[in-house]
Amino acid sequence: MTNATSRPRLALSLDVYAVALALTLAFLVRLNLLPPVKW
Amino acid sequence: MATDVLAPARQENLHSRIAALVPGLLLLIAVGYAGKFIEQSIAAYTKARHITFPNIEYVLWAIVIGLVIANTIGIPRIFQAGVATYEFWLKAGIVLLGSRFLLGDVLHLGGISLLLVAIAITLSLTFMHIMGCAFRLKPKLTSLLAVGSSICGVSAIIAAKPAIDADDEDASYAIAAILALGAISLFTFPLIGHSLHLSDKAYGLWAGLAVDNTAEATAAGALYSDAAGKVAVLAKTTRNALIGFIVLGYALYWSSRGEAHAVGNKAAFLWSKFPKFVLGFLLISLLATLGFFTKPQLASLANLSRWAFLLTFAGVGLRTSLRELVKQGWRPFAVGAIGEVFIALLTLGLVYGADRYLHL
Repeated sequence: MTNATSRPRLALSLDVYAVALALTLAFLVRLNLLPPVKW
Repeated sequence: MATDVLAPARQENLHSRIAALVPGLLLLIAVGYAGKFIEQSIAAYTKARHITFPNIEYVLWAIVIGLVIANTIGIPRIFQAGVATYEFWLKAGIVLLGSRFLLGDVLHLGGISLLLVAIAITLSLTFMHIMGCAFRLKPKLTSLLAVGSSICGVSAIIAAKPAIDADDEDASYAIAAILALGAISLFTFPLIGHSLHLSDKAYGLWAGLAVDNTAEATAAGALYSDAAGKVAVLAKTTRNALIGFIVLGYALYWSSRGEAHAVGNKAAFLWSKFPKFVLGFLLISLLATLGFFTKPQLASLANLSRWAFLLTFAGVGLRTSLRELVKQGWRPFAVGAIGEVFIALLTLGLVYGADRYLHL
């Protein structure tokens, strides 16, 4: 049962952190606080 | 007072957890960048000598380098935590990729994809259960394989496992089978796509519908072309969005049989299983549609998403252990393989039909 409750919470935080990082980067780019990113 | 005492310990714990990720992250960067370097070096060499040579994308190089490292010298423990972050980079990359889709495109492709997804999921769930019975697999293992192969691979299995109270062993079997088949599809799908002269859109839709794990679906699309990679992500994202409903269905089924804990609040359950990065993807896509970003800024966001995928593809190779897959036995693998071939052919037929009659 420990697994049953802890696994979804881990999955949730991974998603939320990934979205938070992506949105932060997007806003930094929008505000020109990041130099142009090359590939 | 208790908080004051605990705070430094928690902070130290957080710092040590972040520090533990660094070696693996550096390995992901090194492997991914090596793939990019090889692609660029071959392209420059063949161009300078006027040699006609097909461009082999960094995606494949990164995966192959990762596979070779993982299955020869292995991944020392110090690198494992950081390498496991590849799914995090995948999700961040998909959210950033939203900048390359105007919302109109998402809705247009989403409508057709949703219909194809619904048909493909229904038929593949049914087929996997028939196969599970035929091969006498444990019912919960069959459920996990069915969820994994019809919805979205490893994430779906991880989401379904606690919901139906399945064993760790069953989840490992199902995950191993799905990952092995995903690795095989990386090499076979582009070959089939090219031999059938599929358009970027049709191929991308096929990869997004048929390849189970999001990382492999993204890679299989990107191996064909950049445009196909975009469509594959979109189709796969549409599939991922349905994860909550399917897992809820299985949870209700197993709890009605008294073999899993009951589901209380169904809306909360659906929300807990819903992949949140889909919302981030749609938000960035909406902002791009509204003209929130300038063209150079959109280019920067697209490149950031490529860098995130670079880490993901390196992780896909590094996390695939051929030895572990062999150890899992042949029956779950056989059910998965037959199911995958069935789903691949079915979705290929659907995409072919949709391309011909609905003009993808």
